[in-house]
Amino acid sequence: MGKMLKKGVLFFTVLLVLLFLASIWISALAAGMADRVQGRNRPVAGITAEEGDTVDLLVVGDSESYTSVSTMDLWKQYGTASYVCGQGGQRIQEAYYMLKTAFRTQSPKVVMVETNMMFRDPGIFKNAQISLAEPLRYYLPVFRYHNLWKLLLDEPKEMTSDYKGFVIKEKITSCKGAEYMKETGEMQELPEFVRFYMRRIQDLCERNGAQLLMVSVPSPKNYNYKKINALRHYAKQNGIPYVDMNLKAEEIGMDWSKDSYDGGDHLNIHGAQKVTAYLGKYLKENYGLPDRRNDAAYSSWNTLAEKFDTEVKQKTGQ
Amino acid sequence: MEDLIRILRDIDDSVDYGKETALIDGQILDSFGVITLVSELEEAFGITIEAAEMTPQNFNSAEAIWAMVKRLQEN
Amino acid sequence: MGYHTSLYVFVFLPVCLVVYQLMPAKWRWKALLFFSYLFFYLLSGKLLVYLVGATALTHYIGAWMSWQRAQEAEELSGADRETKKSIKLKYRRRCRSALAVGILLLIGVLAYLKYYNFFISNVSGVLLWLSLPFSPGEKSLLMPVGISFYTLQAIGYMADVYWGKAKAENRFGRMALFLGFFPQIMEGPICRYSDTAGSLFAGAPLTAENLSQGYMRIFWGLFKKKVVADRLAVIVGVIFGNYTEYGGAYIAVAAVAYTVQLYMEFSGCMDIVIGSGKLFGVCLPENFRQPFCARSASEFWRRWHITLGTWFKSYIFYPVSVSGIVKRWNQFGRKHAGKYLTRLVTSAAALFPVWLCNGLWHGARWSYIFYGMYYFVLIMLGTAVQPARNKLLSVCHIREDSGYWRVIQIAKTWVIIFVGELFFRADGLQAGFHMFASMFRDFQLSLLWDGSLLGLGLGRADLAAVAVGCVVVAVIGSLKERGEPIFVRLVKTSVPVRWGAYYALILAVIVFAAYGDGYQSVDLIYAGF
Repeated sequence: MGKMLKKGVLFFTVLLVLLFLASIWISALAAGMADRVQGRNRPVAGITAEEGDTVDLLVVGDSESYTSVSTMDLWKQYGTASYVCGQGGQRIQEAYYMLKTAFRTQSPKVVMVETNMMFRDPGIFKNAQISLAEPLRYYLPVFRYHNLWKLLLDEPKEMTSDYKGFVIKEKITSCKGAEYMKETGEMQELPEFVRFYMRRIQDLCERNGAQLLMVSVPSPKNYNYKKINALRHYAKQNGIPYVDMNLKAEEIGMDWSKDSYDGGDHLNIHGAQKVTAYLGKYLKENYGLPDRRNDAAYSSWNTLAEKFDTEVKQKTGQ
Repeated sequence: MEDLIRILRDIDDSVDYGKETALIDGQILDSFGVITLVSELEEAFGITIEAAEMTPQNFNSAEAIWAMVKRLQEN
Repeated sequence: MGYHTSLYVFVFLPVCLVVYQLMPAKWRWKALLFFSYLFFYLLSGKLLVYLVGATALTHYIGAWMSWQRAQEAEELSGADRETKKSIKLKYRRRCRSALAVGILLLIGVLAYLKYYNFFISNVSGVLLWLSLPFSPGEKSLLMPVGISFYTLQAIGYMADVYWGKAKAENRFGRMALFLGFFPQIMEGPICRYSDTAGSLFAGAPLTAENLSQGYMRIFWGLFKKKVVADRLAVIVGVIFGNYTEYGGAYIAVAAVAYTVQLYMEFSGCMDIVIGSGKLFGVCLPENFRQPFCARSASEFWRRWHITLGTWFKSYIFYPVSVSGIVKRWNQFGRKHAGKYLTRLVTSAAALFPVWLCNGLWHGARWSYIFYGMYYFVLIMLGTAVQPARNKLLSVCHIREDSGYWRVIQIAKTWVIIFVGELFFRADGLQAGFHMFASMFRDFQLSLLWDGSLLGLGLGRADLAAVAVGCVVVAVIGSLKERGEPIFVRLVKTSVPVRWGAYYALILAVIVFAAYGDGYQSVDLIYAGF
């Protein structure tokens, strides 16, 4: 029995070392071609490839986040260096390990969580699976980037350009939006595992000297009063500042006949610019993030902003 | 036993039935061969072979088949 | 939680192993039973009652038959020859009725769940055709997982007890474990009671050999399923899903791709299943033996889904072929119709039910019935032309075992297999015929290399992974066919070589498997049958 145990331990130690070495190698590979990494791993590779300690505002969330927070508009108006680490249908576990990854090289002052993902509950099995898979991907990136070898064989695909995580959507699909926020006292329950990971996110931010902020961007399809009530309650309970833009849609100037690209689920560039203007003002008033526009180290951001302007003009025809 | 060997030769004469011990497991006798064999055996020895007897052990060698035939004759 | 999921391989199994080992040896089978029922419950919830019901029925009918046997023995002792005969007859009749009740009930439940809607929809079709204003409604029936597999095992057990081949199990829990053992509940292999009972209840302690060999077999299965099958699923889905838009060589590609997918998937799943059994020291029977080395359709079926074929042979083919009517025909035929014809008719009589059941077993669809009949006709044809073929071979001086003849035969068998699987997978019998016919229009083999394949949802890298995966599986398979099973050899080599191979396999699965971003998890195909 003792011998068997020793052998087993040795086997797994060697395996772990091998996986660790493979992870180091594949991470280096990913960093080298971060601009070609696609899909869910794109923001992970992207934030890792960013120059160290340059990002002041970090955003996590599902697709609502990267279609709403226009990083280049924040840059142009306030000189805020922001990065959106959003993923389509991001899970709270992914958000947590995304932040952990980001904190390795970045020291943002504000971390913003787009709240739509807080209501996502894929069921106990999927949850268990994600909760186990995410740390595995974090500690052994060979699991995260295992498909990277395909980039070496496949023909390069045309990439949609992204601007520090933000994606330009120019299409317009209108919707009736005005009445989706019907007042009620009821609350939609937040799943227990979401509370658990939100607490971990809060701790993580505290340890890294970042202030946590919860934000709900306007989305008739995803938000309603019950959810907002729950979020307000949660934010208050845990002492997290919370900005809901659904009830302030009028103040922000949302026009649902032209601000969404898919009928009230996600914002297009017009909607995103309105939301970003509001958000920028809020951040300026409450956090005083530094203006980096004249910092020589950030010259590439200015170049990117010019490219952004050109693409927006070209896509919207304005 | 000689009758049995004659029946077996009739089905396939390329086998050394004295030595072969894997008629079924070695797929020398296919399932049609077994069926033919069964009906021949029933006729020649006046026995009834039922589904319960259809096992490789009973058909793997001439000796095994003979043992089965004798057992069934006694019943 | 299919067998290919990380949840099963890396969570469920290890937990089960730990609990199993911590139990005293005589309780270990109870731990297996607990985890089996947990597994079933997680997959099928309340439908567990079907399994419990089938278990109770099987168990009590077996027990009743063995009790009857004991009584028979008692009555027989001291009876004279004449009474002995009538006593035997009496008990035989009783046991036979019990067996019939058991089989009818089990088949009845299976038929109700699996075929009710099929039956109703066909009846409705006929009624509609006769323009009768009556149409019975279809029901939404939920099938418990593995019912097609455990039902066959239960019937086999009862028949074995009836024939006196197996002793009746006297503990209900053990019967429950035999029918519900979690590694095999979803996809088989279909076991005989005498195959597994011993090792299932033995409670053998975990050993390093069993653990390492078991887990390597599991990883080998994952390799087949996740590297090859799940990628091919994309191509297969595209062509079969939009079959009207494709013709010519695309259909041939789809047929081959689906056949390979099905093999990699099903045999890979069997590797996981057999490996899982091995972890606990349970030896489950093999279900595949290099089926693509088969030289004829009937040989293919002795190498593909072996336990199903064995089951049909033991419980349908032989009972039918030794039944009174077939035997009487045999005697009559050899006197009056000649050997050749007798053999042909006997074969047909015994094979028809086998292939009808084979088709129906896969599910209630006309295309499955067609699939069964397809093999029935082909195998009958093989038997019918055999004498002529043999004569032809000897005239042309072709030796049965010469290399090129073997290649021709294998190629012929491949075509048979691919066409069969085309109909098997097609979305209905009509779609199957449509696809088969359109294959002969505009057949351009050039699409294999002119880049058209890249338009089917897989990139160059994925296709390369499929190709390499297939080569690896083919090489290992042909080594085994030549009597050099690489896994058996590996066990005997030195530690560095063995561990090197283990690490290579593990890393290959981690790096090349189709999981994570950009891939959809593909459910097990055979679990749906």
